[in-house]
Amino acid sequence: MTTLAQPVIQVRDLTMAYGDVDVLRGVDLEIHRGEIFALLGPNGAGKTTTVEILEGFRRRSGGQVDVLGVDPERGDDAWRARTGLVLQSWRDHRRWRVAELLRHFATYYPDPRDPAELLDVVGLTAQADQQVDRLSGGQRRRLDVALGIVGRPELLFLDEPTTGFDPEARHEFHVLVERLARDEGVTVLLTTHDLAEAERLADQIAMLVSGRIRACGAPSELARQAAAQAEVRWTAADGTPRRERTADASRLVWELHRDAHGPIADLEVRRPTLEDTYLHMVHREDGDTDAGTDETANGEAQAA
Amino acid sequence: MRETHLTDGTESVLARRRLRAGLQRGGIELRHLLRNPKEMFGHLTNVVVALVIAAYVSGDVPGTPTPMAHLVIAGFAAYLLFQIGLINLPQLLVTEREEGVLLRMRATPGGITAYLVAKCLLVVAMAAGTLALLLGATALLVDGPLPRGPGGWLTLLWVTTLGLLAVVPLGAAIGAVLPNPREALALIMLPTMALLVTSGAVFPITALPVAVQQVAAVFPLKWMAQGLRSALLPDAARAAEVAGSWELPKVALVLTAWAVLGFLLAIPLLRRAARRESGSRMSARHRKAEQSGALAA
Repeated sequence: MTTLAQPVIQVRDLTMAYGDVDVLRGVDLEIHRGEIFALLGPNGAGKTTTVEILEGFRRRSGGQVDVLGVDPERGDDAWRARTGLVLQSWRDHRRWRVAELLRHFATYYPDPRDPAELLDVVGLTAQADQQVDRLSGGQRRRLDVALGIVGRPELLFLDEPTTGFDPEARHEFHVLVERLARDEGVTVLLTTHDLAEAERLADQIAMLVSGRIRACGAPSELARQAAAQAEVRWTAADGTPRRERTADASRLVWELHRDAHGPIADLEVRRPTLEDTYLHMVHREDGDTDAGTDETANGEAQAA
Repeated sequence: MRETHLTDGTESVLARRRLRAGLQRGGIELRHLLRNPKEMFGHLTNVVVALVIAAYVSGDVPGTPTPMAHLVIAGFAAYLLFQIGLINLPQLLVTEREEGVLLRMRATPGGITAYLVAKCLLVVAMAAGTLALLLGATALLVDGPLPRGPGGWLTLLWVTTLGLLAVVPLGAAIGAVLPNPREALALIMLPTMALLVTSGAVFPITALPVAVQQVAAVFPLKWMAQGLRSALLPDAARAAEVAGSWELPKVALVLTAWAVLGFLLAIPLLRRAARRESGSRMSARHRKAEQSGALAA
């Protein structure tokens, strides 16, 4: 919707090497205002490195990075005030009381949210006077979210935000993140292992495998890019269950009907899920040699 | 012209906001410290130990009419200041780094400045509180020493200030390099205890070999103790000093040298520690902590 506006995050040919090991081998990303962008990938694919470079916590080896119009390596306090951060392993300020902590962090920003209102938004009003280390895991994470958005950031980094949440807390969290993006135009960069979460929340999903973006697009486009196949299941005339994978489910079903003498028992077409796409990507990568990866990348570029 | 004016205004607004945040933070941390029974117990124990020692030490400083207990209390005061800078502060910094406080402050605009302001405030309050409690309690209960006249109070003030400047930056530098809170205590406790024994801060050192005395004289503890003795003991007691005088210029010189060294070390090391903070490093430390916890259990 904002094709004219400059992207909030623009990354070109980002590389990162630790000694001889190439962790990122030319990553390109473009994330626009108000977008919820999910970065997926197996452990060790370079997700954390990418995000920490964008957060300004790590120096890159090469490439161009622009976050909110600034190179994060040169991000000053004014830039910092426009970003918010929610990490999964924070256990700081245990002795502080919830409201006390939020009120304190509000003082660092030029135009903070009202701490009391914010507690209400994240559902911690009842815990306002409680000590931080008495909070449950989900409450603690919601407090981290409140601390992440108290300064009204334009860009919010969420690192595995719902690990350890029960389904209800997860749902509430998703509603909160969607509200931030839709109503306030906050751009969200989410890293997660929870594919259902990515599919539910994200406008755009990028899959990072072995230091490269293997696929990027809306959740529905990804399957096509990845050339993952649909699965067709039915029960044959002799009563045996059958299943077949195909890129063209419609054709297979038509063929089945043409050959059959009547309705086909238990016919079911399963579109590739994000999980299928994801596993397909990761497995294909595992089978590749280093020389082969480039070909795959080219093939994908042509397919896309 | 107008633009320059605007920028300057913004800068000073930012600086004021950081200072205010730091002072507020220091105040809150101090309140938490005062309300934490475990930590308060630790600090109170120190004072009780000093009281007990002072009550049991009898006799006078050799060759003077000053009670030996006064010399011990002055030395203990120096040791408690030393401990705040070189044990309590590094311990606090390492623990907070592991919990992610440093990363949180780094992710907050002006956070690192506010963090340092708060820590300075906390250390000064701890030092002043400890000294007041120790000297007040010993004066009331075991007839302990207090400075005589304005000159004595002035000496107490400058020796304490310079002593803190000598140990606090050094402690911050140590806190920046120590790996984790579990190893930290072991790594700093041993040298500190060795110094306590060899410096003659609490117990007169004439019994120790000259070589040991000379090594101990390099470190600030001996000079902090000597400076506090000059503030708290009557002038006649200087006859018992190794040099036969309080050597105040030398006290000032050595403590200043340590302060300079401490700042030279602390600034780059703290900057490096803050720069290295990131989410993945914090997670890695947590995993390691859990592993060692699991092994110990």
